[in-house]
Amino acid sequence: MAQVGGIVAQSRSGRTAAWLLLLPALAFLAVFFLIPLGQVLYFSVMDPKFTLHHYAAFFTDDFYWRVLFGTFRTAAIVTVFCLLLSYPLSYAIVRLGGGFATVMLLIVAMSFWTSFLVRTFAWMVILGNNGPLRGILSALGWTPAPELLFTRFSSTLAMVHLLIPFMVLALYSVMKKIDHNVVRAAISLGATPFEAFRRIFLPLSAPGIVNGCTLVFIMCLGFYVTPVLLGSPREQMIAGLIGTQIEEFLEFGEASATAVILLCVTMTVFAIYNRFVGLDKLWG
Amino acid sequence: MTKTIIKAKGKSISRRSALQLAGATAALTFPAPFINRAYAREVLYVNTWGGPWEEAAQKHLFEPFMKETGVEIKTVSPVSFAKLAAQVKTGVYEFDVTTLGDSDIVRANEAGIIEDASKAPLDQSKLWPGAVFQNGVGSHAFATLISYRKDKFPNGGPQTWADFFNPQKFPGTRCLQRHAGRVLAIALLADGVAPDKLYPMDLDRAFKALERIKPHLRVWWTQGPQSGQLLRDGEVDMIGIWQTYPVRLIREKQPVEMIWNQALLDRAYWVVSKGSPRAELAWKFVQSAIRPERISKFALENVYGPLNPKAFDFVSAEDAKLMPTSPDNIKKVVIQDTTKASDQLQEASKQFERWISR
Repeated sequence: MAQVGGIVAQSRSGRTAAWLLLLPALAFLAVFFLIPLGQVLYFSVMDPKFTLHHYAAFFTDDFYWRVLFGTFRTAAIVTVFCLLLSYPLSYAIVRLGGGFATVMLLIVAMSFWTSFLVRTFAWMVILGNNGPLRGILSALGWTPAPELLFTRFSSTLAMVHLLIPFMVLALYSVMKKIDHNVVRAAISLGATPFEAFRRIFLPLSAPGIVNGCTLVFIMCLGFYVTPVLLGSPREQMIAGLIGTQIEEFLEFGEASATAVILLCVTMTVFAIYNRFVGLDKLWG
Repeated sequence: MTKTIIKAKGKSISRRSALQLAGATAALTFPAPFINRAYAREVLYVNTWGGPWEEAAQKHLFEPFMKETGVEIKTVSPVSFAKLAAQVKTGVYEFDVTTLGDSDIVRANEAGIIEDASKAPLDQSKLWPGAVFQNGVGSHAFATLISYRKDKFPNGGPQTWADFFNPQKFPGTRCLQRHAGRVLAIALLADGVAPDKLYPMDLDRAFKALERIKPHLRVWWTQGPQSGQLLRDGEVDMIGIWQTYPVRLIREKQPVEMIWNQALLDRAYWVVSKGSPRAELAWKFVQSAIRPERISKFALENVYGPLNPKAFDFVSAEDAKLMPTSPDNIKKVVIQDTTKASDQLQEASKQFERWISR
């Protein structure tokens, strides 16, 4: 009896220790994330008295709807291209393994470790009027070569490049765990290699696809610097809009309401994901 | 207390690393007076335009002031109207002094985010008639003018804003500053409005004129150095740009031409952020920055036009010719009277931002 009591006490003190370990992170998040977030919420409804007119303005104005829709469309396009490029790459990494896998994963990781801003500026150089890509196009006889910078093409291209590492890592972590003997068994039972891939490998890798797409889509919804620096001035993303509302108009209320709406949209995507997959699986 | 911590942190950046740690600890554990004694050197935070502007200011305005007073000047850039407003709201001051152009100072004064200059400890005998405008103290004039790539227009490019707004006559890509106050005024000039009839602005007419070149406006510039880069790299064929940048590019023998005709003149004014804990020091700095011998050297570097008339005692007749305020150029430039537009600038900016992304 005394022994049982000891174990209970121990597990209780273990739990206390766990909470104590959590404390620094919780305190940090509370001070630097939750409180500012609460402030944003507060700004969005107090101007200076309680009001919902910032939200009403957002939802009754087709300009905001267009920006929101445009942001979703861009995020969807970027996600699709990321998937199309990353799936074959991750498949090759898993299937070929060895030195190839190490080198490819290192390349992906290196691009992952380089800051978004640096990579965005690199694209400005590559896509510029005097940049190499346009030089190649004119050398191939396309004169005058089209201007690439400050278009929807340039910002989409750069965002795909920036987010590919997330997609590759999400796909790779799931594909790596797939037992390839299952695919071999299917082939031995008469399936063509393509059929075996389509009916066995592809469904097994689906969690990776969902993880990768969710990650990329959500990150893309909040993209700011890349579309602003590389994109066409007409292509307004919602994060850029928030920046303008603050930078140009000092409309803190309006900007806060827009930020809260962006947050709600992001949370909705997460909620759908959580309902069908589970948030704890997001990082593999 | 928050303010104190930030102040102490700012100071410690320039110290050796050992002191940095000590400073941070001190800021967290000791009351404010102790820190002020530990770091006898006061700090003033100045908001700058970055690039060549800051280089010139560093050399001719900041360093002499630091040497004279022992105060340390730290810079924050670029000039941000939003930050100026936000710091009044939050009480956390990232900078104490900044400069604002003609349309922004009217907006800032309207919004009550700058200190009252009439109550400032300024030496009135050192000021000149018209030195104080909308609670700012006149520093220098700069111009938004047409500049183009000579390799794109070997037989001469656009000479007026009407040319700039005429893509049939001058095909090519264009760029302007993402700044409603200036762009709308330029659009009206392009549409034939007389300079003295610009304000209040006929917004419908301005947007209609802008519509003509919308497909040719590849990009909008937001920061000075960026505009210079776009022109140097040939990303755009013509640009509405501050004179600083083409002047530098021409000195570097880049194929660039600049047109003084119809240049939109802006005057930059020193203002002190409302409620700044270092306001007194800030005004002291402003007083020193308008001294004729300093402002003249600062202006010469990037051919600004000093607003202090005494500054011309320190400028050779030849150099003065290049300035936007020279007798020759002042006849060509357009002077803004933004006070007449004070109640329409905020709304016009909103309409402008929407128009861009449409």
